[in-house]
Formats: sequence, structure tokens, C-alpha cells
Amino acid sequence: MNTHLKHALPAWTWFAGLTLVFVILYAPILSALVFSFSVDRFPSLDITRFSTKWYAQVFADARMLEALKNSLAIALSTALVATTLGFAAAYADFRFRFFGQRMVLALALLTPTVPIAVLSLAMLAFFSRIGLSGTVGSIIVAHVVVATPFAMAICRLRLEQLPREFETAAQNLGATPGQALRLIVLPHAAPAIGAAALIAFAVSLDEYAIAWFVGGLEQTVPVTVLNTLQGQVDPTIHVIGTLAFAATLSMVFAAQMLLLRSTKSHKNKEVSP
Amino acid sequence: MSVLSAKVRLRRRAWFALWAAPLPIWFALFFMGPMLLLIAMSFWSVQNYRLTPDFSLSAWSYVLSLDFLWSTFWRSYGLSLISAALVSLLAFPASYAMAFLITPARRLTFLGLALAPFFTSYLVRIYSLQVFLGEGGVLPQLFHSVGLSGASLLNSYTALFLGHATLTLPVVLVLQTLALGNVDRTEMSAAVNLGARPQHVLRHIILPAARPGLSLGVLFAFLLSYAEFVSATYLGGGVFQTLPILLTDLIRGGQQWPRAAVVSLLMMAALMLTSLVTVAWAYRQKGN
Amino acid sequence: MSNFQYSRRALLKSGLAAGAVLATPAIVRAQEVRELTMLTWAGHADPEVVGPFERAHNVRIRAKEYVGGDQMLAQFAQSPVGTYDVILADAEYVSQLYQADYIEQLDLADYPFDDFFPEFQKFEGHWYDDGLYAVFLHFGFLGLSHNLDALSRSEARNYRAMWQENLRSKVGQFDWHLPNFGTMSLIEGNPAPFDLNAAAWQQVQDTALTLRPQVRGFYDYGGTLSALRSGEVAAMPGIGDWITGVLQRDGANVATTIPEQGGLQWTESLSIGKGSRNQDLAREFIRYMISPRGQVATATLKAYPAMVPTRAGWAMLNEINPNEAARQNMSLSGANALDEIRAGRIQLRRLPVQQSLESWNDAWVRYKNA
Repeated sequence: MNTHLKHALPAWTWFAGLTLVFVILYAPILSALVFSFSVDRFPSLDITRFSTKWYAQVFADARMLEALKNSLAIALSTALVATTLGFAAAYADFRFRFFGQRMVLALALLTPTVPIAVLSLAMLAFFSRIGLSGTVGSIIVAHVVVATPFAMAICRLRLEQLPREFETAAQNLGATPGQALRLIVLPHAAPAIGAAALIAFAVSLDEYAIAWFVGGLEQTVPVTVLNTLQGQVDPTIHVIGTLAFAATLSMVFAAQMLLLRSTKSHKNKEVSP
Repeated sequence: MSVLSAKVRLRRRAWFALWAAPLPIWFALFFMGPMLLLIAMSFWSVQNYRLTPDFSLSAWSYVLSLDFLWSTFWRSYGLSLISAALVSLLAFPASYAMAFLITPARRLTFLGLALAPFFTSYLVRIYSLQVFLGEGGVLPQLFHSVGLSGASLLNSYTALFLGHATLTLPVVLVLQTLALGNVDRTEMSAAVNLGARPQHVLRHIILPAARPGLSLGVLFAFLLSYAEFVSATYLGGGVFQTLPILLTDLIRGGQQWPRAAVVSLLMMAALMLTSLVTVAWAYRQKGN
Repeated sequence: MSNFQYSRRALLKSGLAAGAVLATPAIVRAQEVRELTMLTWAGHADPEVVGPFERAHNVRIRAKEYVGGDQMLAQFAQSPVGTYDVILADAEYVSQLYQADYIEQLDLADYPFDDFFPEFQKFEGHWYDDGLYAVFLHFGFLGLSHNLDALSRSEARNYRAMWQENLRSKVGQFDWHLPNFGTMSLIEGNPAPFDLNAAAWQQVQDTALTLRPQVRGFYDYGGTLSALRSGEVAAMPGIGDWITGVLQRDGANVATTIPEQGGLQWTESLSIGKGSRNQDLAREFIRYMISPRGQVATATLKAYPAMVPTRAGWAMLNEINPNEAARQNMSLSGANALDEIRAGRIQLRRLPVQQSLESWNDAWVRYKNA
């Protein structure tokens, strides 16, 4: 489609830039993969020999299994709630004009600016005071706060691409607001909702600071990684990283399929210029 | 009639509230609560290592009178600004390639692959970088083999920057690619047809049109690097005193959370001010 | 629409139900097995350490691991009363826990103190107003940890070796003021390294500043292990066998030497959290940890080896694992580690006496920035 367009620099320079960036992004992950199979406790380039002993150690650790269960429960619940809240807020912002509209956006966007170290303590202090600390539920509540802005932003961006007339037209033809939402808005936003859920899931799955503070005795996977990194340091860090990456990669491909399908159907409707 | 319309109005209101209310309620409960507590905490005192509700300005006066506060503040600000600018420059060719040189279907795959590491444990990736940078690591050995010093690169700005890049590259790539992808192609073709040189198209059409997205990329890279703690510890070796490091250092003076709260509030103020200015600049009307 | 609302409501309901299940304390779910909670440094709740106790008392130990005393204090302070039954803390933090009124007074008669070596029987950091607040679990010496390729044992006999030209930018420091300023104080020859008048305290800070150009970085526990292992740093003051012992097991050519200026002692102890609802069980647990079996598990802890304070513990270690007993110099016949203490070469690491904790902390932040 851009074949006629000449670029300021030859194509290979841009592709070199692309390659460099992917090398920087993937080098640490590749190294985690390699050293997860190294028998040595501390990574160094002369690897004694390869072994799966660290995988065996991770899989044999009952506490790790418990942490994994917690992490998955927390991330799934966070994805569910954060996406619901995020979509609702995005839809409200898209559909209605109301007092305090900007305030809501500002409130949601304030979250990422609070330093996590102190926010974590404040959350623990606050949750204790309302009787909610030290449970898996309290981690979910906190993670929803952290993940919702992402979910909202994604849904809002997608809704922006929906012509406002569609929904009004449907209502003029006798559809209730609910039907218009269900038949017009939701199908349009579905891929964004899916992507928002995946991102909320991933944000929660990687969060360790708040989880350490408000989680009390409940362990999550990133908290065990943090404990190992700051404490005993062993290649189980690499094992968990490798497993997490494998899981993330499959989720990304799932998201890709969702988005790709919708882009294709979207493109068919458009008249090519 | 009026009863009916009142009913309809009520239903409309309920419908509206169903969508508009949940997020503000959740955030009011679980975010503003802790935030207010954080603000209150900055006025608390510490007695016998116990955090005690109080109205005391001692944490504020202590932090504000630290002679190294502002040097730390500006170091923190400067380092993350430099990182944000460098990451944006580093990402630009890649984003350009994804936006203009790759088919849209492939673009999605590449964006997905760019985002994937963002959701792989950040702690793991930082720890893994040590193997590349540390004593006898991949890069030092590489440098050594081409006749350079081969000394460890850890605890240098290079290491810190790579940590920041690890954290922020994915977001910057996505924002830049989306911004470039939305540049009006008919305008570009028209300029080319009128005989504009490619450099001219890049400078006068692509960059201005992509400005909001590019600036947001810089902003996000800045926000994330500014609050970054893990790279500063494990790659920077604690030799770059940034605000997040100062914050944890202060706590160790005997449960001095009020002081940490003050530093947090300062950090938030700086971040919000920066965000406002950047967003205003990014969305400024063209032609100024 | 009604369909959608129904499903939304159903979703909400099941979500809440799931939340409720998750929020129910495990105690309610499993009636027969009791739970004992513990706030601890890494490794102390490993199955090989607590397993025998769990089985003997039909109890499940749930541990929250921390990596810094300040995080531990904050976690305890902000959690509901009774969340943590047992706390394992450094002696300096036992004193903070006591002052903040977070730990229960213990009954001397519950614990076999007669079996402790005399120097540990009335350990200063555990007694306040003649009340006992913590039970001594294990201890170790801090000296100069060094990579033997860069610094020999005989060179390491003097802390001044850190100033050598070949260690420029090769000295690492643990990111905490007490062991570092304490070591500087030893170098300055202060007989009580933490009890300094204004002039001596100033001198300590000045001496520290001269070392600053040699310093490569400031590390936490995990960072210290990595930095010494990879050779990133060649020497670290105020570190001990709790780091180098672990690295030796991994084949690293490192050691800790107690220089002639003397060394410091770290001490970790067990306390019972204020308001614990399982005080009987917590007491039993502490008794188990200072029983020979618990002591051997502690001395050979996977996370970090350390010396233990009981005679019976030493005896059993010498019987079961004589190599480790010899390596840690815990010999019951002949010279052993205690001689170092008796010879006055080891000083306790403790909170500053004449200055406030925060002034030492401020000095440390300033030093790191210098």
C-alpha cells in the first residue's frame, strides 16, 4: 500500500532499528531461558552443564504451587473486575456528557503516578482499618485499582472509532439503550475488551510490591520471585521467568487472533481509498 | 404523563449511573482511601518506632530541609528525562518500520511481540540483564574481544538506561507505532507527488502529525523510569541516588514512613505537572 | 437487555461468592490442623526445618518472608493484631519491636537457658526491665568478606586492605549503616564501636569517606551474593559466613576473615507477636527451634548457615554433621568460635548508643551520595 512512498532513509536502516529493539527486548528473556537450564546456581557464561533440576525444584515446591494458584485466582479476578469497571467508565465517557467527566479520567490516570513503595503501605494501612488486609481478596481489590486505567484506556480508544450515529440510529429504529449497546457497541468493542482483560491479567500477574504488603501470609508468584531475588538468589527466578513468558506469549497470540479477526471484518466494510 | 416521564427519566438516570458510577465508586473506596491516608501519614509522627496519627509538620520540614533533596530530585528528574528521550530515539526507527514498511497484519504480530516482554516478570528480566553486563558477562567479553576494556558495565548509567529501556520500550513502541500509523497517507502522497523530498515529508508532515503519540511515548517512558526502583538497585548498584532510592533509605531511619510519604507526594506533584505540560504541548493546535 | 443484565448480575454474584471463599481464613476451612504464622527471614520455614514440628503438633506453619527489618516492622505494625504469632528478627529490630510494644514478654522458665553458653544466657538485646522478650536462635560473625583471588587471607587480616590500589572500585558495601559504620568504628579502634561520643562519631564518618572512592556499589542480601560470586566486587566489610559460607558451597573462592581490628556479631532471635492467639503453640515452636534438632536445622540452614547458642545443639551437630561443625568452628573440644568472643575480638552489632538511629541513617545516605 505504501510502495510509492519514498522514505527519508533506506529501508534497511529502519529494519536495523527494528532488529536492535527486538534484540534488547528479547535478550534478557533468552538469557533467562538458557540459564533456567544451567546447573549452576549463579549465572556465568561457562555453564558447567545443563539440567532440569531447577524446574524440578520449582514444581516440587508446595508453596510455589500455592503461590501459582493465588496468582492465577488474583489475576483472573482482577482481569474480570478491571475490565468491567474500565469498559463501563469508557462507555460512560463515550456515551454521556456529565458533570465531573474529566475528574473521573484524572482520578484513573492519577494511579500510575503514585510511588508504589508508599502506596503499598498506605493500602495495607487502609485495608487493615476496614478489615480487608492479608487476604487474596485484598490483593485483588488493590490490583483492580492498578489495572483498571489500562483497561479503560484501551476500551476508550476503541470506542472512539465507533461512529456515534450508529447507536442513535439503532435507538431511533426502536431499540432500547440496552439493545443498542448489545447489538452495536459490544460487538464493536469486543476485541478491545478482550485485549483489556489480557492486559489487566498480565499487570496483576507481574505485580509484587503491593502484593507483598497487602497480601499478608498469602504468597503470589512475583512475591516469591522478589524474595528469591533479594534473598537466596537461585535460577528458580529464571525458571519462573521462562514459564511466565511461555504463558504470556500464548496469551499474546490468543489476543492477536481476536484482534486480527476483527480487523479483517472491519476492513471488509471499508471502501479502499 | 408527568409520572411517565419521571419514570423514563429515572430509568435513564439509572442506565447512566450503571455505567458512570462503578469506577468512581471503586476508586473512591480503594484508591482515594489509601491516598488520603498517605497524605495524612505525611503529617503523622513516629514514636518509639511506631507510626502515630498526629498533626505534625516535622516530616515535611525534615525532608524539605535535607541539603541533598533537590540535587536528588533533579538527578532523578534528569536521569529519567534522558532515558525517556533516548528510549524514544531508540524506538523511533523500529516504530517507523512497523508503521510504514510492514503490512498491517504483520504489524499486529510485531506489536504483540513487542508487548509480550512487558508482561513477563520485570524482576526476572532485570536479573537476567546482570549476566549481560556484569563481570565476565556477555557484553564485557564482547568488548574485550574487540580490544576494549572488558570491565563490568554494571553500576553505570549504561546499565541503568538498559534497565529503563527494558521497562519502557514496549509502551513507547506501541504508542509511536499507533501514532505513525494514523498519519494521513493521502497528505504524504500528495506532498511526494508535488515533488517534496522524503526528508521534507518526514520533518514537515509525519513528525508534526504524529506529535501527540510521540510525546505521549516520551511521557510514559519518563513516568515509568522516574518511579523505577529495581533497575536502580540491581543494575545501577545503588550509586545513583534517585528519589525512589532516597524514599526507601529514609524509611530506614526508624520507621520514617511520614518522610517517605512526603517524598512520594513531591514525586507525584512533579509527575503530574510534567504530565499536564506534556499533554498540553502534545495536543496544542498545529501552526503555533 | 434482560439477558445481559441477568448475566451481569450472575457474574457479580459468583464473583462475590468466589471472593468470600478466598477471603475466609484457612483456619475455618481446616478445623483439625492448627496454623502458626511467622514473620521471618528467608529459609526458616523450609520443610526440612519446620517439618518435624509440624508433624509432631499437627500444625501448619505459614511464613511470610521479608528481606529488611523495616519492611518487617511496617508489615507487623499495619496488619491486624494477631496476624503474626512468631517473629524472627535481628537483635536491633527486637529492640525496636519491644519499644513499639509489638512483642509479648516471655517466661524465662519456658526455655532451657541453662543449656545456652554463658555469653548468650542473658543476652542484652533480649532483656528489658528484667523481662525477657526474645529467645536467641543463631548468630554469626561479620568481618571482611573477600575474594581469595584478589585478596589473600593474610592481607584481609587488616581492614586497611580495602584501601589498596588494586581494590579501587572493587569494594562492595551492604546497604545498611550499622555494619558499615560499625566496621569503620572498629578500624578507628573504638572499644565499644556503637557507643561513640560526638568526636569519635565524626571521625568514623570521615574515615568512611576516604573509602568511598574504592566503593563499587551498595547491595542488598541477594545483590551481595551475586556481586561477590561474579567477582563484581572483591571485598566487602561487615559481611560474614552467612554470605561466603553459602558461596563456598557453590564453589566460589571466597572467605570471611575477622581482621585484627575485630569483628561484629549479628544475632537473630525469636519473639512472640503481641496479641497472638496461638501463644501456646508459638512457645512450643520456639522450644523446638532451640532443641538440638531445631538447632542443627538452623546451623545448616540452606539459605544461610550460622552458629547456634546451645551446647546440646553443638553436640548434635558434631555428631550428625562433623564437617559442618568443623567448618563453622563449633568444636566442643579444643579451640572454637566462642574463643573469639571471649578474647574480646567480637563486638555486638547494635543500635547507636549516643546518637539517634536516624542520624546514623542520614550519615549513611549522605555517604552513599558522596
